[in-house]
Amino acid sequence: MLEINGLVKHYDDFTLNCTMKVGAGRITGLVGENGAGKSTTFKAALGLITYDAGNVTLMGKTPAELTETEKEKIGVTLAESGFSGYLKVKDVVPVLEAMYPAFDRTKFLNLCQKFGVPQDKYIKEFSTGMKAKLKVLAAVTHGADFLLMDEPTTGLDVMAREGILNLFREYMEEDENRSILISSHISSDLEGLCDDIYMIHDGEIVFHEDTDVLLNKYGLIKADEDQYRKLDKEYMLRVRRESFGYSCLTDQKQYYLENYPDIVVERGTLDEVITMIIGGEKL
Amino acid sequence: MKGMLIKDFRLLKNQGKTLFLMLLVVAVFMNLLTDVGPSFIVGYITIMFSMFTVSTISYDEFDNCYLFLMTLPVTRKKYVNEKYLYALLSIIFAWCVGLALGMILVVIPSSAGIGAAEWIETCLGYIFTAWIFVGILIPLRLKFESEKARYANLIVILGVIIAAFLAASAIEYVPEEIVGTGKQWFSGLGSRGLMVLFVGITIAVVIISYLCSQRIMAKKEL
Repeated sequence: MLEINGLVKHYDDFTLNCTMKVGAGRITGLVGENGAGKSTTFKAALGLITYDAGNVTLMGKTPAELTETEKEKIGVTLAESGFSGYLKVKDVVPVLEAMYPAFDRTKFLNLCQKFGVPQDKYIKEFSTGMKAKLKVLAAVTHGADFLLMDEPTTGLDVMAREGILNLFREYMEEDENRSILISSHISSDLEGLCDDIYMIHDGEIVFHEDTDVLLNKYGLIKADEDQYRKLDKEYMLRVRRESFGYSCLTDQKQYYLENYPDIVVERGTLDEVITMIIGGEKL
Repeated sequence: MKGMLIKDFRLLKNQGKTLFLMLLVVAVFMNLLTDVGPSFIVGYITIMFSMFTVSTISYDEFDNCYLFLMTLPVTRKKYVNEKYLYALLSIIFAWCVGLALGMILVVIPSSAGIGAAEWIETCLGYIFTAWIFVGILIPLRLKFESEKARYANLIVILGVIIAAFLAASAIEYVPEEIVGTGKQWFSGLGSRGLMVLFVGITIAVVIISYLCSQRIMAKKEL
């Protein structure tokens, strides 16, 4: 669905250097702090900005080559952009109907009602959460094959977030060839949804792993000075000095659980991995 | 493109309604309180209302909407096409309304001996004037952000005034026979000929404007 190879985009104070792939039938997550380069990656993938090197292939073509018909098969939400605030939902409906032949008006309006998105209110008067919900609802109701969701859950409360994530699950269940690229700085959103996750930091992809592998094989070893000295360092990815001794990130949790029964090995979570990848030291 | 047109007409319905009503009220008061002619009212409504096309670009820019719009099934080329089509439709609409108002307010009651057909022909010029305005403003608005576009507009207006002043001053230094020939050529054109010349200039401005807009939009970093 999407292939980004050696993409480089220079700004005055920031450089994006990204290589990633979203396969058919997969939900791929892009996680990173604010300003790490997530939105720039989305903009480049969609051909909204020019780039200095590398190439992007979206549904088999460069973004600039995509025809209107091909763009109908893409659903997009962008973190800082949406429909004009001077429109109401009831104005947006005919626009979507005219743009997307497969737009499901009834489903869209039902979802608006379900998620509490008012139809007769200017979008500029919407709360951040309402705006976020509207963007997602518009993206999932026109029969797109590929969703590119940049921070779709920003500003949503826990219940609304879960509702939106469920929408994505339902969207994927409808057709096994559909794909989603989703970014978030809320790692728990991605953990429960994505097949694989990329981590971006300071414009660089610093980590990529299947979510199953991450949750099952990654672990965080907590060791004091003495325990740390005796540990086999071969499967340690990062180490960080702590007040009690050391935290060590490993992708072979089972190995340490079996061979060092007296050492604490915590389950790997995306948050732990992010913290260690960014804040830890390579051995 | 249909979707984009619907969007702009919805924006017009939501935001331009007040502007349009205000234009009508001001036109009525102008007619009552000043001695402006009926043609002025048509021109005033057509030209002022045509500016809303440029405002739709500002609405698209508000809150980075451009970015999102370009992810919809709309190419940059079609975006520009839509703006010019929208301008055409809104100019024709405003001109018709202005014409109807002008007729109601002035021509019919005064029955000053002006034939309706003749009057309509006179007013046709405002369509082309509006197009020249829109033709200059659209590429400027696409090229520059809202604040910068305002300065750019001012610079263009000043540029036109200075160019007109320089041309008027320079004409004194042009040999009399050349000026005479020019004057003769213009008067030889007659009102129809002048209108054809005006239409030609308008078409040229719109074509250049359209090509510039396409180029600007193709290169625009969103």
